[in-house]
Amino acid sequence: MKSYLLANLAILLACCCVGTAFAADSGSGEKEMLVFPEAYKAMKVNNGGTISGVVKFEGDVPEKKALEITKDEKVCGADEKFDESLVVGEGNALKNTIVYLIDISAGKDFDKKAKIEIDQMGCKFTPHIQLVPVGARLTMLNSDKIMHNVHIFSKINKPVNKAQPKARRKMPLQAVKKAEGPVEVKCDVHGWMSAWISYVPHPYFAVTNEKGEFTLEDVPAGDYKLGYWHEACGTNSKAPVAVTVAAGGTVTQDFTLKLK
Amino acid sequence: MIFCLAQSVKSHGWLDNSLYFRSANLRCRFAAVMLFLILGVFSMLTAAYAQNAPQASEKGKEVYENSCAHCHGTEGRGDGSAAENLLPKPRDFTRGLYKIRSTETGELPTDQDLFDIITEGMPGSSMPPWDTALSANDRWEVVAYIKTFYDGFKEAETSPKQINLSGKVAYSEQSIETGKALYTELGCVECHGNIGRGDGTSAPDLTDEWGFQSWPANLTQGWNFRGGSDTEDIFKRFIGGLAGSAMPAFEGDSFPGFGLTAEESSRMTELDNKDEMTEAEEEESAQLYEKYDAAVDIALNLAEGTELSAEERQIYDDAMRVVYEKSWHLANYVKSLMPEKRPEPAIGNNVLRSQYVQSELPPMDDAAWGTLEARYFPLVGQIVIEPRQFNPTIDAVNVKSFYNDTEVAFLFTWDDRTHTTDETDEETGKTLEDALAVQFPVKVPQGPTAPKPYFLWGGRLPVYLWHWKASAPEQVTELTAKGINNAEAQAAQGELQVQSTYTNGQYKLWVKRALKTEDKKDLQLEPGVFVPIAFSAWDGANGDVDTKRVMTSWYTFVLEPVPSSKRFIYPPLIALLSVGFLFGLRAFVQRRNSEET
Repeated sequence: MKSYLLANLAILLACCCVGTAFAADSGSGEKEMLVFPEAYKAMKVNNGGTISGVVKFEGDVPEKKALEITKDEKVCGADEKFDESLVVGEGNALKNTIVYLIDISAGKDFDKKAKIEIDQMGCKFTPHIQLVPVGARLTMLNSDKIMHNVHIFSKINKPVNKAQPKARRKMPLQAVKKAEGPVEVKCDVHGWMSAWISYVPHPYFAVTNEKGEFTLEDVPAGDYKLGYWHEACGTNSKAPVAVTVAAGGTVTQDFTLKLK
Repeated sequence: MIFCLAQSVKSHGWLDNSLYFRSANLRCRFAAVMLFLILGVFSMLTAAYAQNAPQASEKGKEVYENSCAHCHGTEGRGDGSAAENLLPKPRDFTRGLYKIRSTETGELPTDQDLFDIITEGMPGSSMPPWDTALSANDRWEVVAYIKTFYDGFKEAETSPKQINLSGKVAYSEQSIETGKALYTELGCVECHGNIGRGDGTSAPDLTDEWGFQSWPANLTQGWNFRGGSDTEDIFKRFIGGLAGSAMPAFEGDSFPGFGLTAEESSRMTELDNKDEMTEAEEEESAQLYEKYDAAVDIALNLAEGTELSAEERQIYDDAMRVVYEKSWHLANYVKSLMPEKRPEPAIGNNVLRSQYVQSELPPMDDAAWGTLEARYFPLVGQIVIEPRQFNPTIDAVNVKSFYNDTEVAFLFTWDDRTHTTDETDEETGKTLEDALAVQFPVKVPQGPTAPKPYFLWGGRLPVYLWHWKASAPEQVTELTAKGINNAEAQAAQGELQVQSTYTNGQYKLWVKRALKTEDKKDLQLEPGVFVPIAFSAWDGANGDVDTKRVMTSWYTFVLEPVPSSKRFIYPPLIALLSVGFLFGLRAFVQRRNSEET
């Protein structure tokens, strides 16, 4: 054992001699994240307004990238799977964009009855983007009856890497205390599986559907900054759009996003 | 007799020449003695520190920057100047993620955990033990200093929750059996493989939190476990997970049937597996799930900081008792997969001795091989010539050999997590595949001081090589080489018979050759002659190709001479003659004396 360690030391020394400057990855700055208000107060909203719109993609739409299924083909390979980091639908509609209010400090409470779940079905996470209220439990479902592991790459909250054996059909996860996101969810057993979670402190977040549509309802009248986040197209956190919501009124705000 | 003496000097001569390993061995003993002495002294010193490191100080910074920053970086980001060439990568301290902890999942390590890692190092990685290089005082200072890289240490309001080690289940056949079933049920096989060689189907795709390749542990090689291979260590890694790596935590409610009794749990699985359930069964299943969900709920409440009622506490404690017991069974099973300690390298009395048999040599799958003990040749990365291999994935090659009057057969086995026959290296475009080369000198050096060829595939003195590749598993090419980049296939091939298999993360290669061949470039073998032998191995999935490989220096191999039946004739004959001579001498002296008087 000692001789092995000595060999290691030798390697280390050699490395010190040969080693070139290690390019620090962290130089490129923080990953693009959502922006949250410092505090949020839940209250009853009467006669709130609505913000809605459509998010579209601009530029050449890259070809859909088929995912390589390397194991458990019976369960995972039943249908073809595609990379979901950029899903562009008819009329360049951009799915899976988070649109949200950056600076709201008071508004409605979360819908306590809403189910917060991500299913692992056919070795794919559904939905690809899940909003999880701070203090609420996210339940991981396993419809595959094979082993998965839920690996959530949180940096502010405690990271999670928890096995979900095949017999574990439903696995709720501990609620988190701080707003954070989006953070990636992976399954190490099936390396191609990927999803994103945002731990959100207020309910004014929406994820665009296949048609690129989003709606934020019951917004108290006032001026807000409207932000977005997209996995492949980045954010507008530095230059959010200003919107003014009138009581009972509807504001339409569309976005056109390019690859970052 | 003189011959025997010469032989023994000769054999020692070989060992003298294996300087690296010999001195390593000596140093090893010396270090062990020193360690013992130092341990005695510093156990007194450390007592003063109890559990907690001192306040971070200038001293800690200084020690860190002198001893740690080369790999871990001055800002603790794991990006020191040496980091580029290392895998596993040096820890990035800024995230507070530590693999080797005595604490539960999501918790920070204790100060003692950090101190222990620094002291003992991490086997199988580039982290050396600092027990002799740094005083205990300095190590505690470093613990305090590296904690400053992550604010979570400062912000933590309570001490990290430690894994409860009470209730250990004794190591027994029955416990191992139970653990084995869990190994499959919980999905360990996915990464660690059917019998633990780290060859699971997910193994090649695993990455760590920073996106670097992360190989699952080969559970049959406990000496490479980063945090030790005692049953307690295994238990802690299993329950707590290895933060930052792909290894998940199997904390309480990850267990199927959490909160159910063993019977209820198996009944639940039984019902789950039914294609159709009757109404009564549906009801029964639903009730079991309700109980299960309730127990999980309690576990989550506790984790989130909710006070439990006495009744809830009871349910939780009962459930955890079952989980912990299962985990100990699993730890016992994993422990059973590895030998008690790392095998001794094939030097000294352990040189590779080919066993003589009168009959045909046994083929690869013959039970006769089971009667021989394998010789263990540890492999290290080739770091002399570019491109180098700093991060070996193959631990060692194990060798057995038989010979008869005309032929010799070898059985080589080595663990490799992946079976790679044809992959293309993205950087160089070269074909990557698994391979093994066995190296001999072309001519056996005559006498103990005669030089051997350079261990890196020869130089001025050529070497004779057997080169096997996974893409042509029934074939071994004979090479002559005068340097690591100067090898040529011999004109005459086909003198070797070859068999090979790859199963459960292990290669087996069987090679047979005549002791004597016509080819002048071949090594000629005869019993009793000590022959230098060395190995190179390539793991295609680890990017091994050409000089980037793992290898050994020269070792020794001998066709163990058959004790000659002449030993029953000559020694008694000489004894008889000596006695006769003495009697003659005595008679002669007596006669002369009587003549004188």
